[in-house]
Amino acid sequence: MSNEALVLALLVLPIAGFALTAVFGRRLGDNSWAISVGAILLTWAAGMLVVFGQLTGAFGPDGLHFTVYTWIPAGTFQLDANFMVDNLTAALLIVVTTIGMLVHVYSIGYMAHDPGKWRFFAYLNFFMFSMLLLVLAGNFLLLFMAWELVGLSSYLLIGFWYRRRSAALAAKKAFLVNRVGDVGFSIGIWAIWTTVGSLNFSDVFTKLPQMLASGQIQTWQITGIALLLFCGAVGKSAQFPLHVWLPDAMEGPTPVSALIHAATMVNAGVYMVARANPIFSHAPAAMVIVAAVGIFTALLAATIALTQTDIKRVLAYSTLSQLGYMFASLGVGAYAAAIFHLMTHGFFKGLLFLDSGSVIHGVHDEQDMNKMGGLWRKMPITHATMLIASIAISGIPPLAGFFSKDEILGASFRNGFYVVWLIGAVVAAMTAFYMFRLMGKTFYGPSHVAPDVHPHESPPAMWVPLVLLAVPAALLGLAIGWPPDSGLVHQWLDPVFAQADQTLGVHQEAFQVFGVDGALLLVSVALATLGLVTAVRLFGLRLPGRDVEPKPAVVEATTERLRPLYIASRNKWWFDDLYHGLFYVIGGVVARAAWWFDGHVVDGVVNGVGTLTVFSGREVRRIQTGRVQNYALGIAIGLLAMAAGLLVITAR
Amino acid sequence: MSHSLDAYLVLSALLFCTGMFGFLARRNAIAMLMSIELMLNAVNLAIVAFGAFTPRLTVHASVIALMVIAVAAGEATVGLAIVIAIFRNRRTPLVDEYDTMRD
Amino acid sequence: MSNALAGATIPGLGWSWADLLFLALAGTMLGAALTVVLGHDIIRSGLAMIVSFAALAGIYVMLDAPLVAAAQVLIYIGAISILVLFAIMLTQTKAGPTRLVFHHQAWAGAVAAVVLAAMLIGVVTSTAWPDTVGHQLHTATDALAHMLFKDYVLPLEVVSVLLLAAVIGGVFLAKREEPQVRER
Repeated sequence: MSNEALVLALLVLPIAGFALTAVFGRRLGDNSWAISVGAILLTWAAGMLVVFGQLTGAFGPDGLHFTVYTWIPAGTFQLDANFMVDNLTAALLIVVTTIGMLVHVYSIGYMAHDPGKWRFFAYLNFFMFSMLLLVLAGNFLLLFMAWELVGLSSYLLIGFWYRRRSAALAAKKAFLVNRVGDVGFSIGIWAIWTTVGSLNFSDVFTKLPQMLASGQIQTWQITGIALLLFCGAVGKSAQFPLHVWLPDAMEGPTPVSALIHAATMVNAGVYMVARANPIFSHAPAAMVIVAAVGIFTALLAATIALTQTDIKRVLAYSTLSQLGYMFASLGVGAYAAAIFHLMTHGFFKGLLFLDSGSVIHGVHDEQDMNKMGGLWRKMPITHATMLIASIAISGIPPLAGFFSKDEILGASFRNGFYVVWLIGAVVAAMTAFYMFRLMGKTFYGPSHVAPDVHPHESPPAMWVPLVLLAVPAALLGLAIGWPPDSGLVHQWLDPVFAQADQTLGVHQEAFQVFGVDGALLLVSVALATLGLVTAVRLFGLRLPGRDVEPKPAVVEATTERLRPLYIASRNKWWFDDLYHGLFYVIGGVVARAAWWFDGHVVDGVVNGVGTLTVFSGREVRRIQTGRVQNYALGIAIGLLAMAAGLLVITAR
Repeated sequence: MSHSLDAYLVLSALLFCTGMFGFLARRNAIAMLMSIELMLNAVNLAIVAFGAFTPRLTVHASVIALMVIAVAAGEATVGLAIVIAIFRNRRTPLVDEYDTMRD
Repeated sequence: MSNALAGATIPGLGWSWADLLFLALAGTMLGAALTVVLGHDIIRSGLAMIVSFAALAGIYVMLDAPLVAAAQVLIYIGAISILVLFAIMLTQTKAGPTRLVFHHQAWAGAVAAVVLAAMLIGVVTSTAWPDTVGHQLHTATDALAHMLFKDYVLPLEVVSVLLLAAVIGGVFLAKREEPQVRER
């Protein structure tokens, strides 16, 4: 089959899966997973073929660009349904299709007891379609449409257990906060259209720099466009100040959290900014803002993650923090490093979420870590894979996270963003700390499990994907990121970002093991180890041959000493309360005032017209006295008036 | 004075306005009809006056005046017949007591 | 008339006899008219109306229109006024003269009448009537007859039909209702 058809299969298979599951799912009952999992397996196969074709150069140097049909022919403006595949697309496709496929398989076991599972699988397929459309889109409007569809899927899946009030509210919150970002995004797209006249990626990314160079547009215009586009990324990828929806999104089933809120949807913002790198690289001010927002979010989320007790919430804040890293990387000009981190993060965060789902499943839907403990013996596979993922995310070599995180930190330092580097290093230490705190409280120490709960390992349908994910989580960094600056991932992605690098003046220097780069490497590893060791001493660890007991008393004492910070962190720095007060309370007042205005003034005018009509009619009726003599007087007066008027007119 | 058209016209105007006041002000229906007759007479006077002072209208004016008198007679007949008919029902000649068609 | 008195003046006053006659007749007419509209007793108003008509006939004579004067006397005084007096007597109530002669709107009517009079007089005196001469012209009766039966014969016939209709209508309206014939 032709290359274009293969790419289109990536879109057609999931949407067909969605449609068929929606129609036949209920009838299939317990086997409703079959259609969607089958569709996703085929999609994964097609995806891998496309990736292979692209990365080996079989599609040509420019990748695939093709149009399916003309969507909007409107005079001078034309918009096609066009798709593109280049190395960046390939990198994203690896993550999206692989993790999507593994999550689908995992869900067979996780949702086995849920009566609504046919809906779940249908929505999952729909989400895959939306996400693939987003990644394959060739113009901004198609991207935006997929953007919205992904948001819709997220809403449907977060609120999957719709009878639960907290889930419904969380779904609404996610959608609304995303919408706020989307307003900026759509204004940005409109700005692009009015400036360039086209929305195709190829057109925009060549013409905008040309127009800037020739003086047709000013720097502030490009900066404005970049910032508006970034608004959308802030919403979708939950950066500050629109970060509040991601922790609440944990109300959805764990596979959803793994797929959407770790590995794919939240990365859409990163992908979009990376795709739009020609725009951003010509707007240095915007890039600084991107970096600042990213690293601030990373710090903020990490501080909150230190004190959370819900296992999924810790992972949610961890996701926020890592996304912050990615945006910081984009902001300092290290686009390839950001995408690299996106890929590794997708795998180990997905693994972490699926592991947590396994734990939750094992302790009968308990998510509070204070009611866990001592599970390492009962759930060995889950424990092992989660340990691997925790080491990976902490940035300990030679596991995956180390390579990508170190690249980000190194690039920040080399490009002169020392503050970003410093904060990033501190956050790395915090990351290691809270991840091993999570491990300690969940798996080690005495068991605080409720008496009627008997923890058990998950069924094979669930642990097979875990094991499969553990492999790339451990080895992906080594596989594609070594040697540093010239590994496979760099060979793939550097051509994509070559223009941006040139504009920014970033030049690839050789990796100096015994120079700056080596020193930075040592520092980051040292900090990560520091965080890890601290957490282990406080919360315990059990390895064959090594047994560290948790010290709850020390934890208590430390918490008391840092009580104000603890409370602030526990309350998520009161952002939710701030937004509640600002929008719900004040907005409620404004809304009530507008309601009053509408009811009294607007309706008052309308009703007033009616009342006026009735009133004037009633009063005018009083001229009709029924008495002829009054009418005669009226005639006489009218006659006089007319005569007087005639005299006045003819006298002029 | 008696050789000027204006005098007769002023006289006609005064008579007409007197009649108009009586029509608008009196309560008795017959009094209203009498006021109407005064108004008609005033108009007649004006016509004849114009005829007396304008050579080419002289004969025409008299003819028209005769017509007016005849029609006034007919109108007085019918009007009075109506008043009598109403009087039989309402037992009063006062127009503001004819109010069965008011609410 | 004008020939006879033309130029004649009252000895000692310098007014012409014609003017004096005019003033007398006009004053009578207006005074009687005021009595008609302002009088409390309606019979007195009816009689005043007759006086007014008579004075008007005199003015017609002064205007050299003898046939119109004759018609005025015959028809207005001889027929219409009698009709009115009959109607007054037929519609008299036992309660005697009414309390109020005028409506509440009498003042408005008075104002309207005064304003109208002022406007008319103002317009009339400020207009230079074209084609007028400075003395009354005599209307010859035979010329009038010719005109009536030649140029105005259609209006003449129509007026006669109108009068017929008026008579029939008047008789019908004023008829007493017959009591219903009982079935035997």
